[in-house]
Amino acid sequence: MSERTLFEKYGGFSKVSKIVMAFYDTLLDSDDIGPFFDDIDMSRMVDHQTKFISSLLGGPASYSDNQLRQFHTHLKIEDAHFDEMKTVLEATLVDHGFVPDDIQTVMQSIETRRNLVVG
Amino acid sequence: MSIEAINEQLLRAIGVGVALLDRKTLKFNFHNDTFEEWFGNPDETTTLQDMFAELDIDELNAGLRENRRFTTETKFKKKRRTMVIALDFTAAHEKQREIAVLVCQNITRIRELESMIDSYSTMVERNTREIKREKEQVEKLLLNLMPRSVYEEYKTFGVVTPQLYDPVSVLMLDFIGFSEKVTSLDPGVTVTELNDIYSAFDRIGEQFGCERIKTVGDAYVTVAGVPDPTPDHAKSVANAAIRFVRYLERRNASHPHQWQCRIGLATGSVIGSVVGIQKYVYDIFGPAVHLATQLQNFSSPMEISVQHEMARSLNDLFEMTDQGARMIPGFSEQPVWRLLDNRKTPAGRAV
Repeated sequence: MSERTLFEKYGGFSKVSKIVMAFYDTLLDSDDIGPFFDDIDMSRMVDHQTKFISSLLGGPASYSDNQLRQFHTHLKIEDAHFDEMKTVLEATLVDHGFVPDDIQTVMQSIETRRNLVVG
Repeated sequence: MSIEAINEQLLRAIGVGVALLDRKTLKFNFHNDTFEEWFGNPDETTTLQDMFAELDIDELNAGLRENRRFTTETKFKKKRRTMVIALDFTAAHEKQREIAVLVCQNITRIRELESMIDSYSTMVERNTREIKREKEQVEKLLLNLMPRSVYEEYKTFGVVTPQLYDPVSVLMLDFIGFSEKVTSLDPGVTVTELNDIYSAFDRIGEQFGCERIKTVGDAYVTVAGVPDPTPDHAKSVANAAIRFVRYLERRNASHPHQWQCRIGLATGSVIGSVVGIQKYVYDIFGPAVHLATQLQNFSSPMEISVQHEMARSLNDLFEMTDQGARMIPGFSEQPVWRLLDNRKTPAGRAV
């Protein structure tokens, strides 16, 4: 049997959907990274966050490195933005009952993609 | 505080936007705090069209006239969030005046959740399609390892019960000098050649109702009568055997690498089953397999040896020559026959 993903461990889509929405709310409210989403259509933004969180937790989506680079290439994202996104996400996961070990796993997984997004 | 005052205060405080409009002029008589928070503060000269530029007033009036109701949606950005508000107009009377009651509900979250469900279901549907494709691949692979009826049994029960098939006919083929070929040829070339030849054998076998059981290196085993019984099992393998030889002769004439085979045919019983737990494979066992293997050893290059009992059932249809009695390990001494291709040798001898 394959190992259970975090997506499954934390209750599948019915729980993950709440994380997606909370993360989406916080991102929009953030004055540091919110502006990146100023001109993005709502459904595209929600689509992006749904896939992002799902793939991060091992759900039914996965972004290839090339896709990630392509999505962010024109955005001029700096390290500070990336750090802020991580902070926001970490807080969201804490709010939704993720245990520290799992949060660390997610954070490490994000960190490996930093160079695809920043720059 | 009067009831009216309480009502008004309630109306002001609820999370739903409310406004009262004059039906004729579509100017605002009243609006509550929520309305103002979303759309600003209309004064007595502001019309509905001023507030909602994209609203189709003719459509609204028609709706109010015909159904006394009209529903639409409006969007605006609050900070950077797209707010979606449902606008619901109802025609009403206040004393003698005709008014329109506008109720505004925030449906932003509903729309966001709908988008999320769209996004998620697209992902899941794509995954389902991929899983289906993979399942088909696995099925295809398993059908290469075992007959379909055996596969169906395996799929349903998770195990395959060994089954006795009697009578069936077995064809055993191997190549002469295979070991030398393997050492002299490039391994890639050997595999390509075998793949080419075995694929052709498979096609020929299929044409005559044979089920290929396995290939082990240079040995090719096919059988007729497994898993579906057929009265023509002997005829099927004999026809296949003759065409295997014809195919190789034609191929040798035009290919740089020459392949010489020996074939043995035998009739009898076999047991068919899936063997192994992790690396399972469908295989057949029994006297017919053993006999066919032994008979193939008696064959000269490009010749087909046939067991006596089987030869008797073929003598109406094929030409054969007697090879004399042979001692077959594990069996009594018995005559062995050589199956001829009647296209090439018109003069044969009946059994």
